[in-house]
Amino acid sequence: MGVILRNLQNVVQLRRARLRRDVETLRHILGVQKFDLGIICVDNRKIQHLNRLYRKKNEPTDVLSFPFYEDLRPGKLPCALHRDEFNLGDVFLGVEYVMQQCKESSCDFHGTLTVVAAHGICHLLGYRHETDEEWDEMFQRESYILSEFNRLTGSHLEPLTKRSTQDR
Amino acid sequence: MLKSLSRAVSVAARLSTKAPARAAEALVGPALCAPSSASTRPFTRSIWMLCSSNGATSGSRPKILTTKRVLPSVPCGCGGLHTEGDKAFTEFLTDEIKEERKIQKSKTLPKMSGGWELELNGTEAKLVRFISGEKVTVTFNINNSIPPTMEEEPEQGQKAEDNEPDLVSTPNFVIEVTKQGAKNSLVFDCHFPEDEIGHGEGEEESDIFAIREVSFQPEGDADWKETSYTLNTDSLDWALYDHLMDFLGDRGVDNTFADELVELSTALEHQEYIKFLEDLNSFIKCH
Repeated sequence: MGVILRNLQNVVQLRRARLRRDVETLRHILGVQKFDLGIICVDNRKIQHLNRLYRKKNEPTDVLSFPFYEDLRPGKLPCALHRDEFNLGDVFLGVEYVMQQCKESSCDFHGTLTVVAAHGICHLLGYRHETDEEWDEMFQRESYILSEFNRLTGSHLEPLTKRSTQDR
Repeated sequence: MLKSLSRAVSVAARLSTKAPARAAEALVGPALCAPSSASTRPFTRSIWMLCSSNGATSGSRPKILTTKRVLPSVPCGCGGLHTEGDKAFTEFLTDEIKEERKIQKSKTLPKMSGGWELELNGTEAKLVRFISGEKVTVTFNINNSIPPTMEEEPEQGQKAEDNEPDLVSTPNFVIEVTKQGAKNSLVFDCHFPEDEIGHGEGEEESDIFAIREVSFQPEGDADWKETSYTLNTDSLDWALYDHLMDFLGDRGVDNTFADELVELSTALEHQEYIKFLEDLNSFIKCH
């Protein structure tokens, strides 16, 4: 199966091939190529709906993750036995929100989308940022992933800052 | 042009008409055989006897097969048949047309953004756009374009009519990209996937539109050339699929276009429906 990419919005013109290539690179770095992963691109209205429904926060955001394995220890890969279990879950990318943030900070949209996707995939792998310790652990993992991504692709991506991830 | 679109429509038509046609055949069959079938003659005669004023059963008994009772006529100078049923039918149609006009959003069709020119030929619509030496044509037919809706039980205290969803036309559409000097056009057979709406959260999972097949075809040909290789996207490398979607997006066929196409198709379908009702009304009244 691999990466299942869906574009459910019409606000931002998305480069699907680039997003898939970048997410495939992230999967390769994390060593989870055997696991399926859903990437669903949505607008503000949709992600706000999901944020309200699952996190009781009535506002749009940049990413929401829905792990297949909910009690995974950070950094440990799931022990999948059957084909159906080779699944990490879904990452909803609020592409309209990300685009707005990029316009405000003059950042490259697709580069930022890769950073946000990396953050979302880390959540699927058990990483959290509810405490400072958890945040440090997740930040280190994201730093490593993106440094590898930069090495492989010649990009200059940096992980999300502590302030921007506090609300998520 | 049209190619798989016409093919899809004809297949849909075949599927939708097969069962009723068979049922009609079964009902009509004996009646058609009646004049030449000896076994039916006594029955026909006995009916004739019921109608005959000289027959043993005539007299005070009601004349059940007289024209007046079976086909109650309404006077008209056109020479056509007009029954009480026709009258009720036209009254119904007049009300229906009035209601449909009331819910019609606009008498003019919505415009497509992005410089698309619209050409109409009955129920077939063609959108044409020129972009840097390329011609992009999108064709669709509004016939059979409204997917069936799953009927749900209305909630307690709620009338069934209040719960009726808006009808949305989501036709299959064919995109033809023609480059100057190229022998063939690149043709995409696209559709709007039908989502299985979850009852709890209502989360849709499919893309707004999807490519079903891709092929090179002679430009402007009405029939799909079956000898041309046709790429089916069911078992396609997803990276290739994404590049094809990006290719279309660069030519103005993206999710915004797809949403606008649904609006246009819905308005056109509704317009044609009202026109059909009006034609039906005129036909039944007089012609």
